[in-house]
Amino acid sequence: MRNVFEVMLLLLLLLLPLVTAHAGGQPNSPPGKPVLTSCRSPEKETFTCWWKPGSDGGLSTKHSLFYRKESSDAVHECPDYRTAGENSCFFNKNNTAIWVNYNITVVATNSLGSAYSDPVEVDVVYIVQPNPPENVTVSVMEDKGWPFLRVSWEPPRKADTRSGWITLVYELRVKLKEEDDWETHLAGQQKMFNILSLPSGGEYQVEVRCRPDHGFWSEWSSTSKANVPHHFRRDNSTWILMTVFFAFTFLIVAWLLHLNRHNLKRCILPPVPGPKIKGFDKKLLKSGKSNEIFSALVVPDYPSTPSSNYEDLLVDYLEVYVPTERELQLEESKDPHDDRLKSDSSTSDSDSGRGSCDSHTLLVDKEAKEEARQAECGQTRTEVQRSLKDWDALTYAQIDMVGRDVPSGRVKTWPSLYSPLPRHSSGPLDQQSSLQMAKQHSLSTSSFLAQEASGESYWDVCSHGELPRPLRAKTPPHRGLRARSDADVSGAGLKRAPAGPRSLAPHTSEYVEVQRVNNKDVVLLQPVVTGCYQALPGEVYSKVKRVDSDNILLLQREAREEDGYPGAEQENTTQKASACVYAAVLVQDQMAPMVNGYVDTATMCTLTC
Amino acid sequence: MNRVILLLSVVFLGVSTQPITDGRLFSIAVGRVQHLHLLAQRLFSDFESSLQSEEQRQLNKIFLQDFCNSDYIITPVDKHETQRSSVRVRPLPHCTTTQYYAVLKLLSISYRLVESWEFPSRSLSGGSAPRIQISPKLSELKTGILLLIKANQDGADLFPDSSALQLAPYGNYYQSLGADESLRRTYELLACFKKDMHKVETYLTVAKCRLSPEANCTL
Repeated sequence: MRNVFEVMLLLLLLLLPLVTAHAGGQPNSPPGKPVLTSCRSPEKETFTCWWKPGSDGGLSTKHSLFYRKESSDAVHECPDYRTAGENSCFFNKNNTAIWVNYNITVVATNSLGSAYSDPVEVDVVYIVQPNPPENVTVSVMEDKGWPFLRVSWEPPRKADTRSGWITLVYELRVKLKEEDDWETHLAGQQKMFNILSLPSGGEYQVEVRCRPDHGFWSEWSSTSKANVPHHFRRDNSTWILMTVFFAFTFLIVAWLLHLNRHNLKRCILPPVPGPKIKGFDKKLLKSGKSNEIFSALVVPDYPSTPSSNYEDLLVDYLEVYVPTERELQLEESKDPHDDRLKSDSSTSDSDSGRGSCDSHTLLVDKEAKEEARQAECGQTRTEVQRSLKDWDALTYAQIDMVGRDVPSGRVKTWPSLYSPLPRHSSGPLDQQSSLQMAKQHSLSTSSFLAQEASGESYWDVCSHGELPRPLRAKTPPHRGLRARSDADVSGAGLKRAPAGPRSLAPHTSEYVEVQRVNNKDVVLLQPVVTGCYQALPGEVYSKVKRVDSDNILLLQREAREEDGYPGAEQENTTQKASACVYAAVLVQDQMAPMVNGYVDTATMCTLTC
Repeated sequence: MNRVILLLSVVFLGVSTQPITDGRLFSIAVGRVQHLHLLAQRLFSDFESSLQSEEQRQLNKIFLQDFCNSDYIITPVDKHETQRSSVRVRPLPHCTTTQYYAVLKLLSISYRLVESWEFPSRSLSGGSAPRIQISPKLSELKTGILLLIKANQDGADLFPDSSALQLAPYGNYYQSLGADESLRRTYELLACFKKDMHKVETYLTVAKCRLSPEANCTL
């Protein structure tokens, strides 16, 4: 009884799995389809294929691999299931043909059925994936103080690169131990590589892999480590410091330049001197009234006192002593030209070339000239006085005689420079002996002031000696303007008295014109014939009327125009007669050479007629 | 290539034949064939990508048939065959006889392979690059290989089977022309071309390594 019960229990136990199996409802099925995952050849001589089995269907499944070569229909089974591991098939050298297509199929078989995988075409040439390179060595070397890594390796053992059967290209990567990103370098077919760009010291890790020319990359080799000593990247820091320093300096300089930009602008790009006339109002010009324009140009304190600038330009200067009446006359003559004078001077002030021929200041209004001439001849006393005051300030004169033949008799003075003429309120001693000098002075001043063109007009101005003027009463003490000419212009002119009449009266002036310029660059002057003034050609002799108490030789006048000149005889300095002058000149010539222009008044004849 | 060949032929005429001086020639030839192989690969992959899945399955089914026109050329199919030599010739001063003969054999096989593709390559389409001139490149390569053969022949006998092959240089190409002109034909052509180019590349590389010690190939 007990034995039967035990046997039944045992049977039950034995049959339980079967019962459960039947009762569980999981039927055994044919195996699932296996899948060929990959086939690889490490050296193009052998290859291995792996598959992944499908479901086994609850039964033990057996997988087998079959292949066919392209040129034959024979089916072969895998020769080696074990060498390459589980679910693999290894084809050795004898079974491997290159450039031959293999048609490979895996079959899973169990008791219930079998499953065929999809066939795979394999050409060994195109499935080569070599092993990783071996013996990767990393060494730290130094090049001119900078460390670098030298990595060397060997091709995988199985790959036959020596005979050229397989050609491998290599690639390596490097990183610091604590970093995450690798830096890869392609090494080509060489088996050695230098890593030069090491950012800093520390432990570096290097890995190498390879690939055939047509194939897959191998796995990365095992990591090789190397310790690089810490090195100070001096060159980088130096460059950075220098760059910062220079940038800083540059910024400071730029800022300073910016602060002084106006000065710099003035320095580098100086303002172009434009025509600026003091007192010139463009609006007035637009109005078209020339009177207003010129009156606006009148500067009360013109001409200015001599400044040191002019002394620099001093080439030659004349000191002309002009007697009062002559002064007045000159002033008269000057007065209408005042505007012009001032304009000229003011223009020439800012003009770069003083009184150059091309200067626009030469282009003086013709009208004004004419006007001046008219005024000059018919000037009243008041005008004279006024002009005299203006004349006061006018102390500059110079004759810059350029060797230029002026047949027409116009003195061309260029460049006419200012020369200081010291004022003189001295007596007759300082008087210019010859009228010539005064003439020259007048010439020079006028010429200077009026530049070339106006100078021309001056010569045409009539001498005021003819005009009856009560000069003695109101004339201010004569200020002699001593004209001292270093050139023997005046002297020469004075010496030659053939052409025209000359006046000896020191305080008389007469307008002369240039006769000619001789070979010594001496301007020969002769009195102006035109206008109110008449010059008597030839030498004129005068009778001495009487000798004055002041040792003045009074000559008898011959010129008819002088007849109406009252009080002329009594005046020492004011009057000048054209005819009377000539004799005096002659006398003077005999007495003393006029080279230096100084004439002793004792010996000199002053004439009043 | 033509210029190089001209120069090299001049050098060859002026200097006695020495297989070691072929190193440059070999490098050029190897470079050329590498380029051709890459070209073939690209053509093939372009074609395959242009196929649809249905056609692909069809092609896979018929793949096993012998369709390459150069199949008549017996080529070594593994390393051993490629490197071995079976015929002994009289020794030469420069290198071992086995090496020398093996090189010649490889060169001649390469020559025949390239030659066999000269004509059929004209029908190969350019694919993505419309104006790829494969045929002229093959001609140039053939000339280069011929130069190499002549430079290395140096009195050795020609291959005995070379004459027989002159009769049918293109193999079964003409026979297969009658087959349907379709994707299949193009596929076959491209696949074969790719394979043959790789063969030539390998042969030339091995031959180069055999002959020139400076190429760092030693057996």
